[in-house]
Amino acid sequence: MFTKLEFRKREANRRELPPFAVYALGFVVIVLSVALMFSVVVSGKAAPKLAGLAAEKLEASGVENPVTAVLLNFRSYDTLLEIAVLLIVAIAVLPARSSNAAGVAHFCSADKQDVLNPVLAALLRWLVPLAILVGGYLLWTGAYSPGGAFQAGAVIAGAGVALSLAGRHEFLWHTTAARIVINLGLFVFIAVALSNALLTGTTLQYPVDYAGMLILVVEIAATVSIAAILLLLFTELKAMVDAPREGRQ
Amino acid sequence: MISSLALSLLPLTVGLPLLAATVCAMTSARRWCVGTSVVFSLLQLITAIMLLLAIQDIDADEPLRYSLGGWGAPLGIDLVLNGLSTIMLLITAVLVVILSIYSIGYFADNAKAARFWPLWWLLVAGLNAAFVAGDAFNIYVALEMIGLGAVALIAIAGTRTALMSALRYALVGLLGSLCYLFGVALLYRVYGTLDLVQLAAATQAGPITWASLALVSVGLLLKTALLPLHFWLPPAHASAPPPVSAVLSALVVKASFYLLIRFWLEVLAPATTDFAMNLLGLLGAVAILWGCIAAFRTQRLKLLVAYSTVAQLGYLFLLFPLVAASDSSPNLSNMAVTAVVYFIIAHALAKAAMFLSAGDIQLFNGHDTIDKLQGVARAQPIAVLTFAIAGVSLIGLPPSGGFIAKWLLLNAAIDSGHWVWVIVMLAGGLLAAVYIGRVLNVAFSQTTAPTPTTTRPRTSMSCIGLSLALMAVLLGFNAEWILQLANGTGESSVPGMGALK
Repeated sequence: MFTKLEFRKREANRRELPPFAVYALGFVVIVLSVALMFSVVVSGKAAPKLAGLAAEKLEASGVENPVTAVLLNFRSYDTLLEIAVLLIVAIAVLPARSSNAAGVAHFCSADKQDVLNPVLAALLRWLVPLAILVGGYLLWTGAYSPGGAFQAGAVIAGAGVALSLAGRHEFLWHTTAARIVINLGLFVFIAVALSNALLTGTTLQYPVDYAGMLILVVEIAATVSIAAILLLLFTELKAMVDAPREGRQ
Repeated sequence: MISSLALSLLPLTVGLPLLAATVCAMTSARRWCVGTSVVFSLLQLITAIMLLLAIQDIDADEPLRYSLGGWGAPLGIDLVLNGLSTIMLLITAVLVVILSIYSIGYFADNAKAARFWPLWWLLVAGLNAAFVAGDAFNIYVALEMIGLGAVALIAIAGTRTALMSALRYALVGLLGSLCYLFGVALLYRVYGTLDLVQLAAATQAGPITWASLALVSVGLLLKTALLPLHFWLPPAHASAPPPVSAVLSALVVKASFYLLIRFWLEVLAPATTDFAMNLLGLLGAVAILWGCIAAFRTQRLKLLVAYSTVAQLGYLFLLFPLVAASDSSPNLSNMAVTAVVYFIIAHALAKAAMFLSAGDIQLFNGHDTIDKLQGVARAQPIAVLTFAIAGVSLIGLPPSGGFIAKWLLLNAAIDSGHWVWVIVMLAGGLLAAVYIGRVLNVAFSQTTAPTPTTTRPRTSMSCIGLSLALMAVLLGFNAEWILQLANGTGESSVPGMGALK
């Protein structure tokens, strides 16, 4: 939606603060920072954190990595809402549906007639599957060591960025497939959260025996959506940078 | 029995809107979005009513808690329901039903509808999440949902002004969220928990608690647009599509105000000082006067309504000096809280109605320059009637919800012997009468200009605005019922405010 905005510096509109105001602002910032530091220093030692408690309950969480346990089990509600925040951003930048789009279109199409540089093509043939593989590994390893849905999604989105930059492939965000991929994370998370309510009586409480599996299901769906949304942000920003040159006429 | 049943519905207040959002986002057909939204808005209303029945059923002193994931605070996240949050959930559910019906007619365009409906539901989910939040970090996530959702909804209007003001709103919102998060991080360092109830039990006055209270407050004040942090509000609220403007003024700014109440009167109450409370009240008083004057001076109708929001938000902040003044008697502070809750409801209904009518007038005339609206009362009687009725409530004339709200606030101020606030409130009412009278004066004057030929809003849509305005008036007739609701039945006269003080 924001592609319509042009960011041009207009000389007439540029206002610079007078030197006095700059110094005054700097003074205020310094005073506030010192006060803040003072308040932290005099507060003494920090209170015991919740890390110990999390480690204690780790066994019941279904995963071995404490970070994943906090994100997907202890405080999974926060993660659920954060995925919703990502969805808001995705919908805000989603390009408007073009009316002349064909009824059946693939999410990722290689219809553009650009001929790829053979070296680039060969590189992509290796790079893209490898990135997806690494993403899958990061997702899987998140259960017991650093890794997880956000990292995996970022790596997989990188594969999409490489495809998009090479110039032959195009991602069509108005297709049904794209919409499903973007929403999958939130939808599966809510479905699991509410079905947990039926299984255990409490929303978001995993049955202990299936906790690990259900967390993996949620993470796979989240990975897919996170990768898609990051890629969407990239392709739309790219379109925004390219657009003014075409649109100005 | 009924309370335990309703308690299990508590996660649905967030779950239902989220589910509606994903369904709307997955289907690109407007038909499906509309159907889903109608069904889910009604389900949400039913949930809110059941929660209301449950909270009345039980002892109001103890808020209801729901431990998500079964872990319980401090490890897990709890949802908390008290009387105040129930009222906020209920007014949200009612407005969402009405504004959703209006939006069906307003967003007839497929491309805009496909964007509007998912964002609409995500914003509602964020609002509800803020109202039931029992965890300081969770509130941050809810604030992000509200802020980004509101920005994206403003940008749907697609005009250059809308995009610029949405972008500014996004930056201000981001700054506010970060300030809030900074404050919460300090709290976590000192008290080692994020749960609001546990924080409330542990809080002691001291430099670091003051610092975090200041950071949390600045963050929330930026989002509530208290003068002098209001600069982003008028352009943002005025350039959004009418149903979005309505929800922004009626609910979004109230959500951060609701959180301010929770932090100042409950979570960080020991760290608050009378001086700070009075300062908030003073800023509120200036906001009342300045907002009214700005509303009178502006050339555009929707901007006038937006400036009026700045002024009306000022009244809410009179709560703090009134509570500070009533240290000796909990009755007085309860009275002030009840008055403000009533004010929130009355203003939500009246302002939503007013934005819908202003939107109708703009749609019909193709512009909303006040001086060129001569004779609009003849062309659009329903819209102008809506504007007038909503105006009556905003001025605070009897019989309207606005009158009762102001009367309660005045009573609280008189009982605590603070005549300054009384004078400000009366002056605010008079000034509101002046700017609303200015619009009506133009609307009813004879016209010489030819009737514009732009699209005529559907009468059914104008009637939705009218129904909101009538509800604002009916609120005045049914004061007893709503006061009892706000007062609860137990000893503590404000629902669940037993936890406060």
